[in-house]
Amino acid sequence: MSKDIDKLFKDKFKEYKATAPTEAWPIIQAKLKMIRKIRLLYMFSILGVLSLISFMLFSTHTENTLSKPLHKNTSLKNDVILKVKEVKEVDVNNDKLPMSKPQENSKKLYATIATKKESKNNTPLEKTTFFDKKFKDTVIEKQVKKIDSLVNNLDNLVEDLKNDLKKEKKKLLKKKDSIEVEKFNKEKRRRWNVIPVFGILNSGRLSKNVTTLGTTRAVTYPDKYFDDNKSSGLISSTYGFNVVFRATNRISIQTGIFSKELRFLTEDLFLSEFIPDVNPTNIIYNPGVEVRFSNTPEIGGSESASLAQTIVYLEMPFELKYRMFGSLKFNTNIIGGFSFLYLNKNEIRAKTDIFSRSIGRASNVLTTSTSLNIGLDVEYHLSKRLVFNSAVIYKKHYNTYKDYNNEYSPYTFGMHVGIGYKF
Amino acid sequence: MSAQAKLYSLFADKLFNVCLKYSRTPEDAQDTLQDSFMVIFKDIKKFKHKGSFEGWAKRVTVNVALQKFRKKSIIKFDDIEESKIPEEKAYVDVEEKEISLNFLLSLINKLPPQYQLIFNLYVLDEYSHKEISEILDISVGTSKSNLSRARKLLKKQIDAIKKLQL
Repeated sequence: MSKDIDKLFKDKFKEYKATAPTEAWPIIQAKLKMIRKIRLLYMFSILGVLSLISFMLFSTHTENTLSKPLHKNTSLKNDVILKVKEVKEVDVNNDKLPMSKPQENSKKLYATIATKKESKNNTPLEKTTFFDKKFKDTVIEKQVKKIDSLVNNLDNLVEDLKNDLKKEKKKLLKKKDSIEVEKFNKEKRRRWNVIPVFGILNSGRLSKNVTTLGTTRAVTYPDKYFDDNKSSGLISSTYGFNVVFRATNRISIQTGIFSKELRFLTEDLFLSEFIPDVNPTNIIYNPGVEVRFSNTPEIGGSESASLAQTIVYLEMPFELKYRMFGSLKFNTNIIGGFSFLYLNKNEIRAKTDIFSRSIGRASNVLTTSTSLNIGLDVEYHLSKRLVFNSAVIYKKHYNTYKDYNNEYSPYTFGMHVGIGYKF
Repeated sequence: MSAQAKLYSLFADKLFNVCLKYSRTPEDAQDTLQDSFMVIFKDIKKFKHKGSFEGWAKRVTVNVALQKFRKKSIIKFDDIEESKIPEEKAYVDVEEKEISLNFLLSLINKLPPQYQLIFNLYVLDEYSHKEISEILDISVGTSKSNLSRARKLLKKQIDAIKKLQL
């Protein structure tokens, strides 16, 4: 039997009896309490300000009215009485006073007042002063007490409000976390992210920026080979791709494959034609290279040169990313982990003013080594699928060289950028 | 028990009933209930004893719910000229006993927000199209057309369920 849809809903909803959630009332109560406190705080603030203003006005007025008598050892009342009396006296002697000298007139008038005051007993004046002082002190004390109590009340209120705000903040954070977890659950399908990455690196050595191409084994040779020549890092690059797996709402696991280049320059060297029987350096020269290098010029002069060393590794990082803070669009993560490094290229080029050519390779670079990685990573979600990624990463290498401890092992500090695809 | 607590215990369930109709989820409904009571407590002096207090409180609740919809900017009405509006009713071939109230509530909550609002206001809370047009700042024609669409969508869903049951 056909039924009007409006009637169906109306009839059904007439019998509908929902029960309000039990947690709603405590929240309403807390909100009401908060509003009451804010109102009270507002009222107390106004009262406080008004009391302060009235106190200031009153005390200024009292100060003005009381300061004169206190200073002159008399009261306002006595002053008025005296003045009235003296005006009478002036009236009597008015004819004797020259009209052209009003100042003298007033001087005389006040002199008369002073004489009369001195001739009178001072006791009633002192009594009045004591009363005034006492009155003033009482008023001030009362005002100070009032303000103290107001300040105390305000302190308590502020403390209460702070506690309430803390509670609310905790609640909100919990709510935010639950929303994020919900969001994470919704996006469970897109937990993988592949990011092609390009980075610029600066290499260096932590403590001893000394070349690793020279040797200290030159004891049997009179010439000192460049065992302590300075070596500096050059700008190099890295490229590859990262694969990121979002394990939880905050933690991601990251790996990938990269080609990582390190470059060092050893300067202040000179070409030498002296080729010793045994190679005293850490360089394996290419066949046909008939020059050697020394840190002292030969007699008669020799051409200055520098050696540019390039080491390229295949790098496989294993890192954890922890999301510190962020929003739906923007996230900041800290990165920590390590990398396996496999030597892929090992080359030394000699550079003079005239030429630059490959002369050989370093004999002391180990084929496999590791690095410890730490960094800061920023993600910006361009769309549901695309994410822009930028990271600053510091990597300290270990076990890079034979016969050298890790102080000589290089570090790299680099900026990596890439746009990833989530799936 | 304070006066506010008494008022809450008297009307909470009835107003929550309203909130459920005008919200997408039970959590939203609870938020609306809380906000509505805050408004009621604040504006209680504005109640002039014209009509019942329950009616006034329900209107306040509906207004709070509408404000929430507006804040989320999720309402987009289908504008149609008044003259082109057919006042279409919809009929379903079901027995009242076959359909639960929770199922009907879920159907309302699943409607697009603009249809949900107009259907609730017109059918369940008995506002006229003119009143709806004033509240929602739309034309009477828009109100009518959106109501027709809401009815059609509800009919479609009920028919589909009916077929599944068969």
